[in-house]
Amino acid sequence: MVSFVTARPAPHAAGTICSAVPVGRKFLNTHTKKQTDMDPSEVEFLAEKEMVKIIPNFSLDKVFLIGGDLGPFNPGLPIDVPVWLALNLKQRQKCRIIPPEWMDVEKLEEMRDLERKEDMFTPVPSPYYMELTKLLLNHASDNIPKADEIRTLVKDIWDTRIAKLRLSADSFISQQEAYAKLDNLTLMEINTIRAFLLDTLNCMYKLRSNVQ
Amino acid sequence: MDTQSYFPVPPGVGMEENFLSLDDILLSHERLPIRTECTFPRLGFLEKSSDTQDIPEGTKMELPLWLTKGLYERKRKVVSVELPKVYREGWRTVFSADPNVVDLHKMGPYYYGLGSQMLHFDSPENPEIAQTLLQTFIARFRRTMDSSQNAYNEDTSALVERLDCLEKALFRSGQSGLNGFQSWEKGQASQLTASSLVLNYRKRKITDVQP
Repeated sequence: MVSFVTARPAPHAAGTICSAVPVGRKFLNTHTKKQTDMDPSEVEFLAEKEMVKIIPNFSLDKVFLIGGDLGPFNPGLPIDVPVWLALNLKQRQKCRIIPPEWMDVEKLEEMRDLERKEDMFTPVPSPYYMELTKLLLNHASDNIPKADEIRTLVKDIWDTRIAKLRLSADSFISQQEAYAKLDNLTLMEINTIRAFLLDTLNCMYKLRSNVQ
Repeated sequence: MDTQSYFPVPPGVGMEENFLSLDDILLSHERLPIRTECTFPRLGFLEKSSDTQDIPEGTKMELPLWLTKGLYERKRKVVSVELPKVYREGWRTVFSADPNVVDLHKMGPYYYGLGSQMLHFDSPENPEIAQTLLQTFIARFRRTMDSSQNAYNEDTSALVERLDCLEKALFRSGQSGLNGFQSWEKGQASQLTASSLVLNYRKRKITDVQP
């Protein structure tokens, strides 16, 4: 039983992993090698659009940006901003970052134990949990209690999920299944395996077309 | 960001070859045992073992794949190809028993490629050969995946030496995924490093030029 389902992560991820799916149809990869993977830095860039709560120590009127408005900043009042802005303000020492609700030792321990028990992928705290952990813990570890434990727990969750992903990929290939469901997989996890899986499926397709 | 300035043409897996692919060009140099079905006048110099002027009918010799493919025709029998050892019945049962044990690099570094090309030569065993190729690939996939995704920053020569060229390419793409992630996690992805082109061509730095 394979456990991936197309849907959740960003459109390009769903697109490329979907293209691997119909093993019976022709691929386009015969003469040109297109770059079939994203860089982890690009995934991190996409993760920086997530919102996080901060407490600024300056005041500023409402800012009108192309992506949306960022509300009036008042010192001492919490406000939601995108991560890229939060990190920038933090580096300039103009705010204090409040860790997201899921970044808590007990909650992460529960998630890790749940992940280890289940065969399928469990719902993930945030579609970009790995990137947010790295960014926030690197730049704002003074605002986050028990930062080291959180890092270890998130790494444990990541390792368990990657192991499940490999197991699923293995059963997908060895039983030559035609499609796979990607439930609750994040873009970063898909990204690490994408190039390898697509190349393997290409080879398998061509070797299979020999048989007919 | 690891963008390459040179994208090599990948080998065409399966019954087509890519004309510009270096792997396919090297593959086509593999020699196949053939038996001539008619005489080749004045080509005796190709066959080193006998000193005759021309190659008589029924000689067994070895020709490279590119020549054999060109000469092979179903209707006008010019040459008839025998299967190399690796694709015959005996080895096929070995592969079906346990493909992971076999050293595919020794069996001809292009096991899958040559096997696919052999299917051009209309041997009666073609379906079995094709099936064996596919099953071997699938069975060895697990080991390739595990070794490529787990060996970070280690000497991988021991892992790679038993792999066929196709599997080596897969191993490399698995490694690149792993390396990309690990270097991002360490924070090396955002560090600026000198480009490999600059290092290779050793541009003179201003400090070297000025006395």
